[in-house]
Amino acid sequence: MKRRDFMISAAGVVAGSALLPRMSFAAEGVIDWYTSSDSNILDFWTNTVKPAFEAANPGVSINLVDAGDGAGIIAIGERAMAAKQQGADPQADFFESGDALLPAGAIEAGIYTNIKEAGLSNYDKINPLAIESDYSLPYRGSQVLLAYDSTKLSAADAPKNWDDLVAWIKANPGQFVYNRPDKGGSGGNFVRRAIHQANGLDPSAFTVDNYTEEFGNEALTKTWDILADLAPSLYDNGAYSSGNTQSIQLLAQGVVTMTPVWSDQVLQAIDQGVLPADTGLVQLQDLALAGGFTRSIVIENGVNRDASLKLADFILSEEIQSAILTELGGFPGVSWDYVSPELRERFADIVPTTIPTFPGGAWDGAINDGWYRNVAPNVDRNS
Amino acid sequence: MTDAAPAAPRPLIDSNDSRRPHGLLLVAIPVFLVAWLVIWPIINAIFRTLWRPDETGAIGFNLDSYVFFFSDQYSINNLTITLWTTLMCAILLLVICLPISLYLRFSAGRLPAYVQAMAIFPMFVPSIILAYAFIRVLGPNGMVDIILNSVGLPKIRTPYLTPWGPVIGLVWDNIPLTVLILLSGLGNVANQAIEAARDVGANRFQVFWHIILPRISNSVLVAISFAVLGIFSSFTLPYLLGPASPEMMGPFMNRTFREVNDPLNAITQAVITFCFCIAFGLFYVRSVARNQGK
Repeated sequence: MKRRDFMISAAGVVAGSALLPRMSFAAEGVIDWYTSSDSNILDFWTNTVKPAFEAANPGVSINLVDAGDGAGIIAIGERAMAAKQQGADPQADFFESGDALLPAGAIEAGIYTNIKEAGLSNYDKINPLAIESDYSLPYRGSQVLLAYDSTKLSAADAPKNWDDLVAWIKANPGQFVYNRPDKGGSGGNFVRRAIHQANGLDPSAFTVDNYTEEFGNEALTKTWDILADLAPSLYDNGAYSSGNTQSIQLLAQGVVTMTPVWSDQVLQAIDQGVLPADTGLVQLQDLALAGGFTRSIVIENGVNRDASLKLADFILSEEIQSAILTELGGFPGVSWDYVSPELRERFADIVPTTIPTFPGGAWDGAINDGWYRNVAPNVDRNS
Repeated sequence: MTDAAPAAPRPLIDSNDSRRPHGLLLVAIPVFLVAWLVIWPIINAIFRTLWRPDETGAIGFNLDSYVFFFSDQYSINNLTITLWTTLMCAILLLVICLPISLYLRFSAGRLPAYVQAMAIFPMFVPSIILAYAFIRVLGPNGMVDIILNSVGLPKIRTPYLTPWGPVIGLVWDNIPLTVLILLSGLGNVANQAIEAARDVGANRFQVFWHIILPRISNSVLVAISFAVLGIFSSFTLPYLLGPASPEMMGPFMNRTFREVNDPLNAITQAVITFCFCIAFGLFYVRSVARNQGK
């Protein structure tokens, strides 16, 4: 009984201390920075951006905080809006990844800085295709590639367009897996590539505000047919992993031969030895798998607004943009003209001229709901 | 939580002096927190799903979202898999934990101490770590497969991403609490009663069935209702180990709310989940009340 009492009280103390309110106040010279990205991005900031920025700007430091996911960032945005109304300190200065349209009304409330008019010296270098709003700063991009086990599939046989990919999946049942579209972008963008396939390979047909129930049903029903047709040939007769990392894990354990992956995550996995160095990477040539840009936001009413703008300018510099390519495996947010010539040369093969993107907004909900209802239930799974 | 299971003995001195408002003040804070953070959101959720505008915009009593849930095969499948998982876990927990508790109650020495430590160990493992360990061990080409392969045996049919994945994970996760509650129940079984039964020739099974089980039925009920309450609304293990579809209510609610941006249906799912949980909770309350009535 003593053992038990001890354990119960120890558990109580631990639980209690976790619930104690954390007192914190924003400090002058410490940029409160939040991200919703995966841990490889946080590592990149911890090891590369933060030391470089702090060395270049004595007296300013960055407090890196993981906000968890997009909803976490939105919650902090809502806090900043509430703080603005009360004239209080939002305790936030910089979002590494955010959507200027969320939380709704943030721009009208004046909590996001108009980056276009903030006078950044590097603003003109930004890739014009990546700009979505004057209030957010696209500083890195990422694409989804297909990663494969080169011991089971030679580079020459790797599928290079959608039809070859479908043929390969059907010829090699159980050797392909993609994750659930809402649980990570690698599976999500594979599903979006299928939407492009079903609708004439035209990414411009989908915009953030052209979702209607009628158009959605028409475009997505064709997509679900394609994906449901693939399901019996997938891993375990139609199982879907629950995240980007789990897909990479299945590839690493030699369970599947091919899976869609984020370019930055797979390069880091290879770098860390999670995947072997000879892991093959291929991009579809008829239309690349969708990708996207990550956009940073500066909080207008933050204590360190000016220092945050310096940081925003700093991440567009050639030093950081090159590191995004070499260390993160991402894409630069600036136009290719502003990347050093040798890097441009080195990445010419895997870098497509454009990264097709797919809009969010109402499309997200329709895709996430429709896929679960029409593709995920696989009645024949145990047959 | 565990010490809530057996009824505390009444204080020896139960005079009116001890019924001053001090006691009420002490419970005021937890009662207030429960009312504020649990009861109020529940009332709010029920109200928001039942009293809302219909298609024409007129605000009134509206059961549409509940009608949708119970007429939607996809939602029904999710509810069914949740009930199935909960039932399987409850059965497996009893089958696994009852023998462990009986062993720990009726043996002495160092070995039972180690067994107890082993049985309590899962309490200290966060479920996210458990999930990844599960994938490494029982997942495809995991440790079990490697061991089987090394002695020339075929691979197992992995439970990863099937409905059995969450069942195995949740059972392991709930062993400590169940064992502790059963153990405290077994403390009520007097050695003399068992010896007396043996003296008149009862065998082991008869002792268990006629002497031990009636004494601990209350603890079994409490242990199962605790486990069931946690399992019914669990999130992490079904999310990481279960199939994409059907999904348990926890991941289903979360996805409807965040990924599908459909708060109304998410709240409806939550209210329905809550109704099932309150049914299980009533078992617990009833058995505690019965115990205190003795």
